[in-house]
Formats: sequence, C-alpha cells, structure tokens
Amino acid sequence: MESTGKVRRFFTNKASKAIVFIMCAALAAAAWTQIIIMSYQGINPECLIIKQYKDSNNFISRYVSDAYNDAYQTLHEGGKMPEKSSYYYYISNGKQTYTNVSSTNKAFFAQYDSAFYSYEKGLLTFGANTNSNISFGFGNKDTVYIAFSDKFLETHQKTWQAQRDLLMPYAMGVVVCLLLSTVFFIWLICAAGKKPGDKELHLCRIDKIYSDILIAVLIGLTVGAFSIAFASNMYYYGNIVPANMNTYEKYAFILLGVCTFAMFMLCLAVFLSIVRKIKAKKLLKHSLIFTICYKIYDFFRSLFDGRKFNKYPLTKSLFYRQMLFIVLSFVLVILTLALVRTPIFIVPFLLEAVLIYWFIKGSRKTYDEINKGFNESLEDQMRAERMKIALITNVSHDLKTPLTSIISYVDLISKEEGLTDSARDYISILAEKSNRLKQIVSDLFELAKSTSGDIEINLEKIDFKKLIQQTLGDMDDKIQSSNLQFKVKMPDESVNILSDGKKLYRVFLNVIDNALKYAHQGTRVFVSLEVIDKEAVATVVNTAGYEMDFTEEEILQRFNRGDKARTTEGSGLGLSIAESFTSVCGGKFNIKIDGDQFRVIIKFAKI
Amino acid sequence: MDNAKILVVDDDKEIAAAIEKMLMLEGYTVIKAYDGLKALDMLVENDVQLILLDVMMPKLDGLSATLKIRENKNIPIIILSAKSEDSDKILGLSMGADDYITKPFNSAELIARVKSQLRRYMYLGDMSAKDNNTQITVGGLCLCKDSKRIILDGEAIKLTAKEYKILELLMTNAGMVFSAEKIYELVWEEAAYSVENTVMVHIRRIREKIEINPKEPKYLKVVWGIGYKIEKF
Repeated sequence: MESTGKVRRFFTNKASKAIVFIMCAALAAAAWTQIIIMSYQGINPECLIIKQYKDSNNFISRYVSDAYNDAYQTLHEGGKMPEKSSYYYYISNGKQTYTNVSSTNKAFFAQYDSAFYSYEKGLLTFGANTNSNISFGFGNKDTVYIAFSDKFLETHQKTWQAQRDLLMPYAMGVVVCLLLSTVFFIWLICAAGKKPGDKELHLCRIDKIYSDILIAVLIGLTVGAFSIAFASNMYYYGNIVPANMNTYEKYAFILLGVCTFAMFMLCLAVFLSIVRKIKAKKLLKHSLIFTICYKIYDFFRSLFDGRKFNKYPLTKSLFYRQMLFIVLSFVLVILTLALVRTPIFIVPFLLEAVLIYWFIKGSRKTYDEINKGFNESLEDQMRAERMKIALITNVSHDLKTPLTSIISYVDLISKEEGLTDSARDYISILAEKSNRLKQIVSDLFELAKSTSGDIEINLEKIDFKKLIQQTLGDMDDKIQSSNLQFKVKMPDESVNILSDGKKLYRVFLNVIDNALKYAHQGTRVFVSLEVIDKEAVATVVNTAGYEMDFTEEEILQRFNRGDKARTTEGSGLGLSIAESFTSVCGGKFNIKIDGDQFRVIIKFAKI
Repeated sequence: MDNAKILVVDDDKEIAAAIEKMLMLEGYTVIKAYDGLKALDMLVENDVQLILLDVMMPKLDGLSATLKIRENKNIPIIILSAKSEDSDKILGLSMGADDYITKPFNSAELIARVKSQLRRYMYLGDMSAKDNNTQITVGGLCLCKDSKRIILDGEAIKLTAKEYKILELLMTNAGMVFSAEKIYELVWEEAAYSVENTVMVHIRRIREKIEINPKEPKYLKVVWGIGYKIEKF
C-alpha cells in the first residue's frame, strides 16, 4: 500500500508531469524532424528493411521486371533486346533464340545463382524460389534465362548499403523517439487531472474553455504543426548528402525542430485538457454548442413550465394570452390576405375582431388582479407597521405597570419598622435589582423605538464641540470621582452639524459612561473632535480594563457586553442605543478594537 | 397644609394603594378612585388639594379627566404615566397638568413633587400682592431682585453669587437660549475662552438645588449643542 502510494505520487507529481510533458513533446518533435530529414534525402526507405539489394523490391521492379519485359517484347511484340544490357540473357520461343552470351547452357546462368531468374515450361523462378502464378504473359514454349553478374550486384549492393548506413541512425532515432514519446503520452493521459494528495479529478484553468473551442484549436494546431514541416521550402531541394549539410540547412532543421516542438507542446496541452474533460465526463456538457442549445431549450421550457413566472405569478396568464394573440393574429391575417379574392375572407376577418375583443377583456382582468394584489400588500405592510408600534407601546405599558408596583412596595417595606437586619439586606437587594430592571426596560424600549423608526427626531443646527463639552461638564462629578484622566482635544472654532441635540447627548452620555465603566483604572481616556474632509469626527478612546475577546460587530449586538459575567450595573444596551440614535440622527457610529484599545468613532457631515 | 387631601386615581388598585400608603406616611389624607369618571364624582364630593392622575384608565382616561377638571378647578394635577416620550409629557402639560411623573417612579421623587406642588399652590395664593418690578416668577420659581433671593415653591434656596447671577440672567430672559460664552461674559464679566465646562458645572449645581430630579429638569434646561435656558411657563 505504501509503495503503490509512492508510485502514484511519483506518477502524478507536478514536477514529473511537467518533465514528462516537455519530454513527450520534444521526442515527438525530434521524431518528426528526423522523418523530415530522412525524406529530404530522397532515398528509398526500403533499404532500411531489406538488407540485400537483390532481395529488394527496388531491384525486382527496376531491373528484373524490366528484363522480363524486354524479353517478352522481343519474343512476342517484335521488340529488341537492349544492346547494352546489365544482365546476361537467353531467351527463346522455340523458333527464335536471342542471347548475349556464347553459352546457352542453363548451367552458365545457374552459376550466378544469387540473381538467376528463369522461365521454363510455364514455371517462373526467382533465384531459388519458384512461382507458377506469375507468367508475365509468356507462352508455354518460351524459355527465358536472365542472370545478373556478381559485379553488377556488388556495385548496387554498395550503394544500397551506403544509403542504409545513412538512413539507419535516423530511423533508429525515429523509432526510439516515437516509442518513448508514446510511453510518455500514455503516462500523461493516465495522470491527467490527478494529484498526489487525493483521488479526485482536478481541472485546470485551461479546462474552463469550452470543449468545442478546444477541439477546434487542437485541429488548427495539428494542421499548423505539420504544415510548418511541409511548408519549409527546403523539402523541394532534393538529394543532399547530410554529411555536407551547410550551415543554412543545419539552422533550418534546428528551427524546424524548435517550431515543431512548440506546436506539439501546444497540441499536447490542449489534448490533455480534452482528456481531463473526458475523464470528468464534462466534454459534451461543457461545450459552447451544448451550452447555447441548452440555454435556448431552457428558455423555451421555462416559458411553459412556469419557472419564468415564479416571481410574477400574476403576469403568467398575460404572457400566454399575448403569445396566443400574436400567433393567432398572424395566422388570421395571412388567411385574410390569402382569401381576399373570395367572399369567405370575411370569416377570418371576423374571427380576428373576436380575438381582439377577447384579448382586451382578458388583459383588463389581469391588470385588475395585479392592482388588487399590489394594494393588498401595501395595506398589509402598513398594518404590520402599525401593529409593531402598537406592540412596543403596549408591551412597554404592560411591563412598566407591574414594575411600578414592585418598586413602590419594596420602598414601602423598607420604611417598615422592626425589620431584622437580614430582611433589610434582602430589601436593599430587591430595591437595587428592581431599579436595574427599570433601567433595562426603559433602555430596551428606547432601542426598540429607535430601531423601528418610531422615534421623534428634532433636527437642528447644533455645535458638535459645544455638545461634547456640555456632556463632559454634565458628567463632571462622575469623571472627577473616577480613577481616570480625561484628555480632551477640541478644535478652536465651532463645528456645526445637523442633529438632534438631546439624542446626541444620550449618545455621548452612553459612550462616556461605557468608558467610565470599562476603562482600566488609572489610564487615560481621549476625547477628541476633528474635521476631516467636511466631516466632523468625534473619537473616544479608552484602554479596556479586561481582555476584549469580541469583535466590533458583536459589541453592538443587543445585550452584548464586554464582561460576559454581566455583573456590573447597566442594561448592556448603552452602545446599541448610542449606535441607533446616531444613525437616526443621520450620523455614523463605528467601533474599532485594537488590542486593549477601545475606540468609538462618531461621524457627522459638517454644515 | 400637612393635612391636605389628595386624590389618587389609578386603575391598578395595588399601585393606588401603594401611593396612598406613601402619602399617608407623609401625613396626607388620601382618597382613591379607579377610573376617570369616579374621580370626577369624588372631586365634587370632597375638598381636594391635589390630584395624582394615571393616563391609561377605563371609562375616562387621564388626559380627558384633566381637561374636565380644569373647566372649573385650578388645583394642582400631577399626571402619572407609563408613557415616557417627550411628546406625551408636553401633551399632558398642555392639557393643564402641573407636573408629569413617569412610571415606574421613585417614591422620594413622587413625594418631593407632591410637596412642591402643594407648597406652590398655597404660596401663590398670597403672592399676587407683591410688586412685579422687583420679582420675576417662572412657574414655582421666584426671583426677588431686592433681597437677591430665589424662592422655589415658597422656600428660599441658598445660592452662591455666581449661581444667582446666572439664574437672574436666564430668568429675566426666560425662554431665551444663552451660550456658555455669553453667560460667562455677562456673569463673570471677563472674556470667555474655553468656558463651556465651567459654565456647565455651575448649571449642574444650580439644577441640583432647584430641580427635584436634576436628570429631568423642569426649569433650567440644557439645549444640547447650543446653550442653556430657563423654560418659560
């Protein structure tokens, strides 16, 4: 298991895949270039397969067949044997005999047994082989002896061998390159889309291109790759001995190789992309043609299965009616025109009138429905809004009334005489808690009202600087009695903004209250006001006395508080109310937490 | 005055009983009604010096009851309500009520307001004789220029010289808003520079002396982001 994993990792590794990819393309390009070089020599490639010239098809077709042909011409068509022939012959048809040797003995010819050909008694012989099927048209009485001299054969064998020696290294190169390239190609196909880590199929960026475009590109590239080789004009120069390849030709072949290599790389990349898509079973689905066809199909389907009108249920009937109207009108108009010469044309004409009447009536009904629905939803919304406001008011009253009794009676008990000490302790706890409850209820309703928009806002031009100073002055005794140092930085001139002074006072009251409650003892609280880009920006920064393990958003969530134990006084709504009030007054309220630094930023447009 | 008769009107019987008990501890005589109509009947039958009136009640609500009472009586009316919006308070006061207390209330504050209203009611009775040139009256607040004293609902208030001057400035121009700089220049008679805090601290001290609940001042108000003023009655 371990070893297969390793093998798998090796085969699907990114680096090895890249190397194999390059090798595959390079080897294929090399093979192709060598084939071009070979063909460029203009040498019969048969010499690669047939070692002996006399066995070659080249020899048979070129010399032997010619000799037989000459013999036949001479014997039957009144031709003549060539005067200077490269072979010895003896031919006879029983009446006439032609020869270029003195001896007519068959034994003379047989001594050249490596290249002796005879036709005797209807039997054709190629050296040692006898073949009765081929007759070259000779008659039964004909006798033909043909033999090639050893010298002749030797000369040709030498040339043959030289050609063979010339082509063989290229041929071996082609075979080896093709074999390796094929192996790498198979490797790449198998490893396409796989990664060492998992067994999933991974698609690359190139795979996002539509399949049909990829295939078109692949065809184009392939055609391009081969046409580079064929278009190179040196192909037409003919025989050149490679040993004497001049510099120009060398560079031409190198250039050809490089171009082919580049083209093969592109082809391979595109091909592998197609392979990955086939593996992912996406080839067809992810093609442009399929996508377009599907979209068109889907569009028409959506018209009829109702999906198109999911959001607009009321216009569905309108659409169908329109479609029907258009189609029928078209048909009727055509009919009217077609029948215009006959009196029946009045029938489609009248039908068209009926159709128009039906269409107008139906459409009016739909419009009525739409209007009705619209009005109903508007009324529902208004009712919901009114209910929400009424709910807040009623719940507020229903909570405050029993709370009034609780607070009042706790107060009365505390005035009773003759209570034990522990009873007094309990009562003081009750008094404290009921007062806190009162605070929470009142904060809660203030928040509910401001977030629901049901709050009175009295916007006027006020001086932001003055407001902050007034708030600080108002809270002066609290600030003095705290262990904190307030650093206030205000601009010299007044900063006018449009806001509700009372609400904005509550905002600052809550923010500074928050700083007083949660700042670390003995630290400084920075209150500043600046004008940045026509915006009045007020900032209150304090160092938290505890670790703030919450985010800026969380702290503004209703009831969220820095200390999760929730023991200190307050409703936990202070900052929420501040945020809500700031936004109803048209400002922006932000909180930034940076380590232990807690920063409240309030922005208003300066006027 | 200690045996003043107070009418408590609230549909919640427990709350009415609690208020009755609180007031009785202070030595007042208390009668109770549980709806507006009953309250009107009781007013005819009894000689009542002050009314504590709930707003949300069956049969006749507190605001309508206030209007009815004001048709022929000018005894102090304090509205008790769970509605805490400014608009509710303004509506209540404009109907003719003298004060507005939101529920849940603090018993000390309730008693302080009751006392204040009663004192003023009695005090105003013999105030008409006094010279209008030497004194300024705003609600239950009276400033005597001759004696340089401030009298709140018949009781003299101890103020420092600066506090008195600030009050004098604001009361002579009741309803007008003064900025801190303006107040400083007129009271301290010095050029004002960064005085917001100084003035605000003085204002707060004055409030603590003349207001029953300094958090919800009746007379001396801060106009946030603008300045300070004495509410005009």
